[in-house]
Order: sequence, then structure tokens, then C-alpha cells
Amino acid sequence: MNSENLLSIKNLKTHFTVGESVVKAVDGVSFNLEAGKTFAIVGESGSGKSITALSIMGLLPNNLAQTERGEILFDNKNLIDLEENEMRKIRGNRISMIFQEPMTSLNPVYDLSYQISETIILHQKKSKEQARKIAIEMLDLVGIPEPQKRIDSYPHELSGGMRQRAMIAMALSCNPKILIADEPTTALDVTIQAQIIDLMQELQKKLGMSIIFITHDLGVVSEISDHVMVMYLGNVMEIAETSELFNNPLHSYTKSLIDIAPQISDEKREIKVLRGEIPSPTNPPSGCVFRTRCPNPGIGCKGGDIDMGLIEARPGHWVDRCCYE
Amino acid sequence: MKSNMIRVENIKKYFPIKDGFFNNKSGDVKAVENVSFEIPEGEILGLVGESGSGKSTLGRAIIRLIEPTQGNIFYKNKNITKLSDSEMRKLRKDFQIIFQDPYASLDPRKKVFDIISQGLKVHEKIDKNSMNQRVEEIIQDVGLQKEHLNRYPHEFSGGQRQRIGIARALVLNPKFIIADEPVSALDVTIQAQILNLILELKKKYSLTILFISHDLSVINQIADRVMVMYLGHIVEVANTSNLFSNPQHPYTRSLIETAPQIFRKNKKKTLLKGDIPSPINPPSGCVFRTRCPNPGIDCKGGNIEMGLIEIEPGHWVDQCCANCN
Repeated sequence: MNSENLLSIKNLKTHFTVGESVVKAVDGVSFNLEAGKTFAIVGESGSGKSITALSIMGLLPNNLAQTERGEILFDNKNLIDLEENEMRKIRGNRISMIFQEPMTSLNPVYDLSYQISETIILHQKKSKEQARKIAIEMLDLVGIPEPQKRIDSYPHELSGGMRQRAMIAMALSCNPKILIADEPTTALDVTIQAQIIDLMQELQKKLGMSIIFITHDLGVVSEISDHVMVMYLGNVMEIAETSELFNNPLHSYTKSLIDIAPQISDEKREIKVLRGEIPSPTNPPSGCVFRTRCPNPGIGCKGGDIDMGLIEARPGHWVDRCCYE
Repeated sequence: MKSNMIRVENIKKYFPIKDGFFNNKSGDVKAVENVSFEIPEGEILGLVGESGSGKSTLGRAIIRLIEPTQGNIFYKNKNITKLSDSEMRKLRKDFQIIFQDPYASLDPRKKVFDIISQGLKVHEKIDKNSMNQRVEEIIQDVGLQKEHLNRYPHEFSGGQRQRIGIARALVLNPKFIIADEPVSALDVTIQAQILNLILELKKKYSLTILFISHDLSVINQIADRVMVMYLGHIVEVANTSNLFSNPQHPYTRSLIETAPQIFRKNKKKTLLKGDIPSPINPPSGCVFRTRCPNPGIDCKGGNIEMGLIEIEPGHWVDQCCANCN
């Protein structure tokens, strides 16, 4: 993974202090995002995938979260060290984000014109009229019919799919280098989900931005991404190219996820099961965090004596060393 | 041939819309339109559709949790449509529902024991000892322990709560279960556990199940037969392997093609345009025609009445599309 890294994350740790205890929501995540590519982060709830995204965006409240160590390198700058006013120039402009629930992430009391123009006026120094014009073009680009009319709609007047399109229009209005999409299709119906995935792929071809796509759905990962990172309890289990990961999964968690993912097939298959539940992040297992649910843990692994850390098992295919050895 | 557990004839459910000063009726939400089907004893019938297709309304209407506007419901060949409330109450213990959201469907102020035993208190005059015994038995059947009975719902994870919900549904030894999106709110690994549990318990308790889901791959794994619903109408019914290997309705086909899959056999994807229309004012004729990828001429004009015809034994499809193809 060395061709043009647009964003490079090294050993990112985001911890929350809750009362006496420390929640290690993200505990040593490293990955590279290549220009023009889609990087998927997949994991169950509580695995730290959204916190990774929010850490990149600098959207976590300072008093609660400490993004302590690590680097988020973008444009030769470590985003962790940036002052808020510098970060504000990047956020929504060079790196922007869309969220899962398009109803709660759009402001219900402003129309689309105001909400989309706001970003454009702030970052691109355009007049109100120019911004409105760009906003209409953006709505057209994301496939909203009759954009001249729709621009004056309020979020509640749009369907779920249209709202997500409007969110995408807003996020892309300043032509960002990176779009972070946090479960953008999870709240949508299947036919609408397919439309939005199609739209994102088309826009990526047209505009050339990189996408970080967060999802819990391996099927979606396989449709949209070039690379995948599998997370579990704040740690990275495996990183590889998408087809490599699905054809040669090395980590036992990845293997289980692929095994149990519901697949459409003509014959009836036995439903495979991974036992147990994701442990509490306040008190994660020592050593390999997955060992409490691992279907066949090694002896060193069972005792929790092996420290976690990625090793490159094949070119570009990284896996946690515990499972590899 | 097995006898039918449930048979439904031309069931309709309209919700009136009331407007204005005198609360005049200004229209209807046509949630379910002329639906007929039967569920043989011991079958898992899958009901799949997008939000707003009327699947939950249909589920509730067939056990008269909401009164159908029209139509007849037969339970073990007995017409229960006109039964009085007190007669119906005696039958209630044979019908149970497992709900989608395990957070919202358990009373937060009750202990697990009280949640599970409430049905027994209402329906069965049994002494305390046998009640305790029954509750302890059922909690172990769903994979939890006796100690859990003294806890409150907030102390459990989503998957465990869904187990409690299942225990509550099964404690009265019901005959017929409506599982309304029982795994949609759960993580993938937990989803597989719950599906497996439902299959195990189905055998143990000889249940007949109507399994409602928007997720085709889940339906594919668990159902014996599938009904596809769109805007209040059943558009296709077939046994599971037939439906997935030989889908006839363009809506079914598109659902199958666009469902995200890790290993996709067929690369062809027919995206449906637009959103599901409003059930207040559905298209005339075939309700799917506004989104149909290749509607016939009559179909486009909305002149063809809807209705299922049998194209091969046990495989029914809406006549409009059966003729188009």
C-alpha cells in the first residue's frame, strides 16, 4: 500500500474516561487510504469503527475523549496537532462526512438551500447567489429530480433516500479529497440502498475523491470497497484488498464473519454461529481481544500472553499476529 | 398433506385519514389489499418487503391485534374473524409475537421473571411452584441462566434481550408465532445466534412461524416458503428455493439482484428507480408499474387488475407481470 497515500493513520488511540475507568474505544489503529480508492472499515457495534472516523474528523469532545498518541497524516500535517480553527478549514472542505440517519443529521428547521450553501459560502468564499447555484448543481449531480424546486424543500419533505442524496450533495459541495461515510445505507430500504451505493460509485468516478466507508455489512463491503479493515473491540484484526480478504481470510474473526454472513443461495444452508458476545470495552481481555470468542485459540493465545500487533502475512495483507502464529 | 394452521382470505386493512374541524374522513392509507394465503402446520413462511409495504400490518391483522377492514381469518379451519373479545382472549395464548427492537419491547421496570411469567398469570391458573419451574425451564431453553431472572432488562445486551423476548413468547406453549424483524436490530454474529435459536425452538415446540423481514438473505436462510409484498399486495409466493432460483416478478428479481452479497454469482443488477409510492394514493392497476424496469403497454396504462396466478405448482405471481414476461 504505497501508491499515493492520501491519508495515513498510525497507531491511533482514542480513549474515553468514564468515571474511574478508561474505555479504549480505539486502541492502536493504523491504515493508509489511497487516492481515489474506497477503504471499508467493518465491524460489529462497539468495535470502534465510528470513533475512528470521528477521530479523523476531530469531532469528538475534547473534555471526554483523548486522542492521545498516534498520527493522522493528511497533506503533510498531523491532524491531531491542529488547532480548532485550522481543523475547521479542513473539515467539510477537504475531508467531509455523511452519517447513518439522514433525518437526524440534517437540520429540520432550515431548507436545503441554506444547509448546502452554508458550507460553500464558508469554505469557498462565494456569494449567496453563487452558492445557491452550486447547491442546485450538486442536487442535480446526486440525482435529485427537479433540483431548482427541491432546493427549497425542508428535510421532512424528502424521503429517506432523497435525504441521503441531499447529505451527499452537501458533503461533496466543496469537492473534498476524502469522503467519510458512516453506515450511509444502513437506515435505508434495500432498493434505495442499492441506488445510493450506485450513486457513490458513480460520483467517485466523476470526482475522484477517496472514500472511507464504514459498515457492519460484509456484502456491502464486497460491492463497494478496494480495501477492507476488520475491527474488533477497538483493534484491527485484518487489513487486505477486498477480494484477497474474502478469498483468503487469515484471521479467525474474519473467517467467522464470512461464514455466518447470510448469503442468498439456492440450497438451504446450515446457519453457522459464532458464540458469545463482544466483551465490555472497559475491561477487554488481555492479549488478543478476540480470544474469548475464538473458535480455535492457540495455547499462547488462550492465556492472553500474546500482545496484539499486525504483521504482513502476504504483500498488502496484514493480520493480527496472534491468529497468524 | 398437513392441515393449515392459519388461512387468510381477501384480507384488507385501510387506515382512515381524518382531517379538518369535524374530523371528516378524507382518505385511506391502504396498508393491506386483498391478501390471501395459508400457512400449513410446522412451516416457516417468510414475508419480505420494504418499509411501508404493509408486512407488519398484515402480521398484526391476521391475529386481530388490529382489526382487518375486510376478509376472513381461519385458525385451524375455524373462522376467528367475528369472535368476540372474550372468545378471542382464550385463543390469544396460541398466538405470540417476537418484536424487532429488544430495547423497546421489554418493560424496563420489570424483572425478567415478571416479564416472562406475566402471560402465565393471565392465561393459566397454575400454582407458584409450577410457574417458577416453567419460567426456569424456558429461560434455559433460550440460552440464558436462572440467575438472569432476577435482573432488569437494562442489564442485558441486545442479543440477550431478544432471547428474553423469545422466552416470553414461548412460555405459554403457543402454536403460531409472528416474528416481526426479530434480528434486524442485532449485530451479524448475534443475528446468526438468534436465527439458530429460533430454528431449534421451532423443532422443540413444534411451532408454525410467520417470519417478517426486509432482508432477503435472512429469509433465504430460515424460511420454507416466501411471500414478497409490495405496497399492500402480495406480488409473488413460492417455496424458498424456487423463489430464489427462478424469480418471476421484476420486483423480486431486483430485490435478489441488488441484495449485497459477499460472493455474487450474477453480476447483473437491475436498480429500481424512485421510491415506493404513497399507500394513500397507490398507482392504479399494477402498483409496481411506476418502478417497473420494463412495463408492458397495458401495464403502463394501469389497466390490468392485480391478482395472483399459479405459473407452476405452488409458485404464484401477480398476473400483470406473469403476462408481461
